Amino acid sequence: MNRRPGFFVYGLLTAFVLGSCAPLYWSFLVGSHSREVLTKRVPPLLPGGHFWENAQRAVDAVPFWKALGNSLIVSGTVATSVVFFSTLAGFAFAKLTFRGRTPLLVFVVATLAVPTQLGVIPLFIVMAKLGWVGSLWALIVPGLVTAFGVFFMRQYLLDALPDELIDAARVDGCSLFRTFWTVAVPAARPAAGILWLFTFMATWTDFFWPLIVLPASNPTVQIALQQLQSGYYVDYSLVLAGATLSTIPLLVLFVLTGRQMVAGIMQGAVKG
Amino acid sequence: MEAGSTAVKPVGDTGASVSPTGDRPRQPRRDVVRRPAWRQRLSMLDAKVSPYVFVSPFFVLFLVVGMFPLGYTAWVSVHQWGLLSGQGDFTGLENYRRVLEDRYFWNALRNTISIFLLSSIPQVVIALVLAGLLDTQLRARTLWRMSVLLPFVVAPAAVALIFGNVFGDRYGLANEVITWIGLEPIRWHVDTLASHLAIASMVNWRWTGYNALILLAAMQAIPRDVYESAALDGAGRVRQFTSITVPMIRPTVIFVVITSTIGGLQIFAEPRLFDTQGLGGSDRQYQTLTMYLWELGWRVRDLGMASAVAWLLFLIIIVFALVNLLVSRRAGSLKGVHRRPGSPKGARR
Amino acid sequence: MALTLATTAAACGGGDDGGTTADGKTKLTVATFNEFGYEELIEEYNAMQDDVVVEQKKAGTANEHQDNLYTKLAAGSGLSDIEAIEVDWWAALMEQSDAFTDLSDPEVEGRWLDWKTEAATTPDGALIGYGTDIGPEGICYRADLFEKAGMPTDREKVAEMFGTWDEYFEAGRQFVKKVPDVAWYDSSGATAQAMINQVEYSFEDEDNTVIAADNPEVKEVFDTVTSLSEEGLSTNLVQWSEDWTASFQDDGFATMACPGWMLGVIEGNADGVEGWDIANVFPGGGGNWGGSYLTVPAQGDNVEEAKELAKWLTAPEQQIKAFEAKGTFPSQVDALEDPALTESTNEFFNGAPTGQILADRAEAVPFIAHKGPKFADINTAFQQAIQRVDEGKESADEAWDSFLADVERLG
Repeated sequence: MNRRPGFFVYGLLTAFVLGSCAPLYWSFLVGSHSREVLTKRVPPLLPGGHFWENAQRAVDAVPFWKALGNSLIVSGTVATSVVFFSTLAGFAFAKLTFRGRTPLLVFVVATLAVPTQLGVIPLFIVMAKLGWVGSLWALIVPGLVTAFGVFFMRQYLLDALPDELIDAARVDGCSLFRTFWTVAVPAARPAAGILWLFTFMATWTDFFWPLIVLPASNPTVQIALQQLQSGYYVDYSLVLAGATLSTIPLLVLFVLTGRQMVAGIMQGAVKG
Repeated sequence: MEAGSTAVKPVGDTGASVSPTGDRPRQPRRDVVRRPAWRQRLSMLDAKVSPYVFVSPFFVLFLVVGMFPLGYTAWVSVHQWGLLSGQGDFTGLENYRRVLEDRYFWNALRNTISIFLLSSIPQVVIALVLAGLLDTQLRARTLWRMSVLLPFVVAPAAVALIFGNVFGDRYGLANEVITWIGLEPIRWHVDTLASHLAIASMVNWRWTGYNALILLAAMQAIPRDVYESAALDGAGRVRQFTSITVPMIRPTVIFVVITSTIGGLQIFAEPRLFDTQGLGGSDRQYQTLTMYLWELGWRVRDLGMASAVAWLLFLIIIVFALVNLLVSRRAGSLKGVHRRPGSPKGARR
Repeated sequence: MALTLATTAAACGGGDDGGTTADGKTKLTVATFNEFGYEELIEEYNAMQDDVVVEQKKAGTANEHQDNLYTKLAAGSGLSDIEAIEVDWWAALMEQSDAFTDLSDPEVEGRWLDWKTEAATTPDGALIGYGTDIGPEGICYRADLFEKAGMPTDREKVAEMFGTWDEYFEAGRQFVKKVPDVAWYDSSGATAQAMINQVEYSFEDEDNTVIAADNPEVKEVFDTVTSLSEEGLSTNLVQWSEDWTASFQDDGFATMACPGWMLGVIEGNADGVEGWDIANVFPGGGGNWGGSYLTVPAQGDNVEEAKELAKWLTAPEQQIKAFEAKGTFPSQVDALEDPALTESTNEFFNGAPTGQILADRAEAVPFIAHKGPKFADINTAFQQAIQRVDEGKESADEAWDSFLADVERLG
């Protein structure tokens, strides 16, 4: 059937995409003007020349670079760990037989919908006992595994990894771990990449838990943003320059991997 | 399914069902090659023990950081437990009684549900339309898809700051536009409904494109000949969309609703950063349950009561999920077409 | 994977303000809020020291600072080496005095005003905070807007107009008649706060029993402020909110209660606005709003060095410099007499002799209002009740009733 879209479809889509970009543009716009300009009744529609100056002030106002480093360390570690442990467990669930496999898998599925972040209070108490409040461990350790990751990798490997490959590796005398490493890991790579991306993004954008455990002096990017805003006077040139600046790393990631993200969402790699 | 879009192979079983058992994998053929006895024994040990070694890191860690805290929350919730003073006396259900008698709890519950409805209903509708628009023979279709996903990469904290500026009560862009067309400015931070709308718009902005892609995937699995026969019967585009597309992807729609329920009931960053004080307005008119939990725990410094709220919130989420499940069971008679590995956990923002 | 964990382990250790810098110097952090005027002082200290590097962490509002403080106190780690604490929270934190280092030291005896030291001394004689500033209040005003209303603009003449709250409010009524677009004061909450600060026992009595609900003085402040909002004297904005901040740029109001530390806030918010001045007067005699202490949490790694730094920062000479930078008025006896303070003027406030004015204002403070451990929490509820009336969400009566319910809840 001919479903070639007409002007109408393109028009609506363009309008929608403009709407998607508008807030970001606005953020950049405000961030690129000096404060005086913004108090004028009619806001400017073209960027001003003060973006870097405002961004510099934002970077000076909060430990921005440290926040960026912290976010990279935490999100990178969590995403890598989730992918590793999920692939390992997912492989076992998909391709190995062992007693208790079915009930264990049911357990994984049952916990998918459990909002683990409701455990913040005991986590806080435990982190306090361990002396981890204020350090990045408090963010990393609770994120090391997710039930979703295990289930996702298991579902992928079920189809993507032919049993014959495993058999062949076993015949060659490979241990199960070697089999996992040489056969399952390469086969899992596309799904692992997607899981990594989404876990990274979810960790990067998390706000609730870091707000509780991290001090102002050792923030993630999101907490640094919150500090920018909570100043006793809110200088929007500075705040939105900071917001824009903080979005750049994910924008870069998006430009590089947007295709994979789209593919991932369309295949269900959601909200790791 | 069109070619270009799939960087990876389809995931999982192709039904909508979530089957915990899956295919039974075959036993590795251990008998083909003769090996020394000790190696064979080692290999058998490997086959027996290794699977547990593989799954145990996950289970150990998950029990420690996922399950144990939930149980411990229950323990804290039946004690007097100050942030600074620590564990006090056992008080039974006293904390729950105090929470249920606190008007701010019910206020937060109302706000949460209101913001959730304002954000999920328009979101699903717009996402459906958007997915319908994308489900055409577009030129540069990957680019279009990426474009609608753009807001997703902006963190909620940044979204809240940007929208907080746009929805400034006196000096915001939204009100500039509203007064320019001759209407009265809206007090976005003051009026309950207006504040909910502003917060919901943040959620909608960030998630609509994302959900549209999920729905788009389901739409693409609809066989094209269904449309062809409908077209032969004289059904127009809009008619086809409402009477074929939407009913056929209903399970996926329900999935989208469930995930946004789990996330939406825990909304925190957006309302928290909507003003500088972080309590949800002078009358707590946009204080959500998670914000209420935070206030009890870290402002009022009563971890016992905060834990009670955490458990109540957990129960509320379960109730909502069950309701959704019942609805989707009933809708399940319409064959599920969307290929999903299952519902993700609700860590949404 | 092992490698990743190993490298992050190193990074994590370093991320926790571990106490030393890469080149082996002792690193000290000082956590403050609003404006303490410490920026240049810290540079000066760093230049003086070979083995210590000081870094300042500034939180926006006292509220946010306090949230962080409580959380990290509970956690037993994560606090800065020096934490500033505002007087409104002081009593609540005195209950946790074990968590702070005893800073008593013969060198600092008699350094501060007596009441400032007394409030920081525990029953068993430990001194857990060094006083920084106090908050004697004047009235800051926009001379240009006064002129528009045909009112006197000269700061001596203005001072004569504001002897009592009634006079101050009456002047406001006249003002808003002449200049209807501009409110008289910046926010109802701030005005109420200034008035509450003049009540010796407002929310809690001597034994820290909560009396907020039955205290006629509290009710009177509430009634006064809420009725004035109806007359259009207030911007109806919330102090520290975004619109409040913007109203400095937008001729939103003409006057505000002005403790010393507010000078820096005004200068920052009203950047580029001309016409600000300060009058040597405060309705109802005198009042103290805020003021802070520096504490050294016992959990820190470098308690001794932190104490030295706190001692240096709160010395009279340094506090005078902080005053010159941001208007935080010294609580140190010697500083009050120092010509460097009494002769200092402030360009932004039309060259007003802010040092002398605030010294006079400090003199006029009859007593320091009692603030018990629940003060800050009840005050938040009180402010929110006023805000609800300003926003038209509740009538004054309804707002008072829900304030009572909030007090009950906090009780």
